[in-house]
Amino acid sequence: MKFKISREALLKPLQVVSGVVEKRQTLPILSNVLVCIESDRLTMTGTDLEVELTASAPLQGAESGEITLPARKFMDICKSLPDGAELDISIDAQRALIRSGKSRFTLATLPANDFPATEKVTGAREYSLQQSILKHLIEQTHFCMANQDVRYYLNGLLLELRQNAIRAVATDGHRLALSEASLDLVPGDINQIILPRKGVSELSRLLSDGDQGCNIQLNANFIRVDLGEIVFTSKLIDGRFPDYDRVIPKGGDKIVKANRENLRQGLLRASILSNEKYRGVRLNFADNMLRATVNNPEQEEAQEELDVSYSGEEIEIGFNVSYLVDALNAIKQDEVEIILIDANSSCLIHGEGDDSSRYVVMPMRL
Amino acid sequence: MPRQIIHVDMDAFYASVEIRERPELADRPVIVGGRPQGRGVVAAANYIARRFGVHSAMPTSTALRLCPEAIVLPPRHELYAGVSLQLHAIFQRYTPQIEPLALDEAFLDVTGSIGLFGPAEKMAREIKQAVWEELQLVASVGVGPNKYIAKLASDIDKPDGFVVVVEGDVAAFLAPLPVSRLWGVGKVAVKTFDKLGIRTIAQLRGYSPQLLRQHLGSSGEQFLRLASGIDERPVISEHEAKSISNETTFAVDISDARILHQWLQALTGQVAYRLRAQGLKGRTVQLKVRLADFTTLTRSHTLPEPTDITAEIGQAVQFLFNERLPRPLPPVRLLGVGVSKFAAEEQHQADLFVSAERERQQRLDALMDRMQSRFGKRAIRRGKDPASG
Repeated sequence: MKFKISREALLKPLQVVSGVVEKRQTLPILSNVLVCIESDRLTMTGTDLEVELTASAPLQGAESGEITLPARKFMDICKSLPDGAELDISIDAQRALIRSGKSRFTLATLPANDFPATEKVTGAREYSLQQSILKHLIEQTHFCMANQDVRYYLNGLLLELRQNAIRAVATDGHRLALSEASLDLVPGDINQIILPRKGVSELSRLLSDGDQGCNIQLNANFIRVDLGEIVFTSKLIDGRFPDYDRVIPKGGDKIVKANRENLRQGLLRASILSNEKYRGVRLNFADNMLRATVNNPEQEEAQEELDVSYSGEEIEIGFNVSYLVDALNAIKQDEVEIILIDANSSCLIHGEGDDSSRYVVMPMRL
Repeated sequence: MPRQIIHVDMDAFYASVEIRERPELADRPVIVGGRPQGRGVVAAANYIARRFGVHSAMPTSTALRLCPEAIVLPPRHELYAGVSLQLHAIFQRYTPQIEPLALDEAFLDVTGSIGLFGPAEKMAREIKQAVWEELQLVASVGVGPNKYIAKLASDIDKPDGFVVVVEGDVAAFLAPLPVSRLWGVGKVAVKTFDKLGIRTIAQLRGYSPQLLRQHLGSSGEQFLRLASGIDERPVISEHEAKSISNETTFAVDISDARILHQWLQALTGQVAYRLRAQGLKGRTVQLKVRLADFTTLTRSHTLPEPTDITAEIGQAVQFLFNERLPRPLPPVRLLGVGVSKFAAEEQHQADLFVSAERERQQRLDALMDRMQSRFGKRAIRRGKDPASG
């Protein structure tokens, strides 16, 4: 195995795959990247056994072969070489020899056969869609995922592929985010998968905002997203996501309209004096006015009066203020609608005139 | 005035409860435990079986070799937990200061009750009598000026023991006992005492604290205090307790994950039952695992909200066991489950999904509690008790 490549051409894919390689690994080979050389192509793979990333770059006149190299050292070497440097990499007697100008490095290797790469996502269904759509769905919902919850199926993002829409749903049991986009997918049954937290953050990092497409392959255990030069593969959470539709409130008659930024700023100010652990805020809605009151165990108090549009009966309800602020951060519209039923029921928040992204927050007893 | 502590310890508890349910077994050797085929372990044996050398924590297969005609019954932990609650109801007639050590064993501090009910000895006798009349079970009872003496007293004349040690008799009571009777003296300490030529507690009292410290470290002085009958530890009732936990030690180290899971479920059931009986809800679930080499691992998980629901605690225990222990897991010697961080539910975040499921689980738990406390002849238990293994 032998190939030549410029520092810049190597660095980009190497940085992508190193992202998933964790520093402390139980298996030594997991600190390595798999390097595969075909005559005209370099493909590198990194994995933490849950998420696998593959990135490739074109080559010219290489001698094919495959090997694994220590990811961090390989990348540090590559980074520290001067701009525009050319690297000459070859393998000899289980050692990788890297030469560039007057620098020379000999790196330990481990055999490629021992690397736990996913072969193929078999029996998969395929979908194509714009990267920006998937990125948007993740951004609108990911913050509601649970973290290390016993209900392990909540520690990830639900992706639901319907006939003419794709939905993302995240919930930690206290609040829920749902975002959907309509598009023409291949007809078929509804396909639900749960992508684990780590996969969600890696994937969203890789997706671009532009109009490039991506190809998604799904089977019962894996999702593979092909972005062209980069291929993302993740294990799926094997579990049943709760029936989220059941907990999205329907038919609430107390509708509050508010300026998103005013409301957000007001709640943020009030939250300074909230109980650090519970973060409770008491909201009183009455005749075009919202009063937000916050107390903490030190008996300090904050109160904000905010102009809203509301003409229903007076209602007092408590929430975790962070959950409200998170939802207001994600909504894109300038005006928001908050739909309430009563003090013990969840509320629904979305941008005015657009419920493609919806947020459900359960109340708190204060 | 010295404290008055009663220690109640049921005789062959599981076996006695089973025999009470099936009186025809009264004259036969009875073992409660896992099946011999499944690496089962003896949880309890009646005194007839013990005459053959059977003792608890022995593999059931060994027990059956010693006593082939023994009847082996699967343990029904939730039934025993129900009886335990009735036992506590009897204790509570005399004092709220009750510290349970196990389902069948508790300390009672009756110092404050003497004015109402008479001397501790009288209360102890009444308790023993009530346990027999109301539950048809035999308790060994000890009375002493502290926990250590009370526990020794209940044990010294077991089964059907009743021993009262008044403060003036403590020294004489302890003197002839072997040093292994001191709390905390294990195999290692016994060897050290052997080397020093110390066999009895009386002999130990003759040694200087300095010498003992030299050979036994800081525990040397603790042994000396116990040898003089001094034990200041208070009786801590569950209301004051910071956590509720149950644990079990296996005679044979267990590697079979299925058996371990069954034990976890049984322990979870006992802990959840005690929480509900005390009206407590906890947020932190703890798993304790002692490995064959005596390394002890504890793992804890904090729940989104306080609970006393068997299924929720069980889920957390399973999570800790499956996700938070080293793999492959070496053979296990001891398992324990505990719940702590009892919470006042002042600020309470409602949950989107739990509500319906919680209500269902709460109804289920309440139903099981009721059935057990009525001693269900066919007391229900959950699908995977060690019994079914």
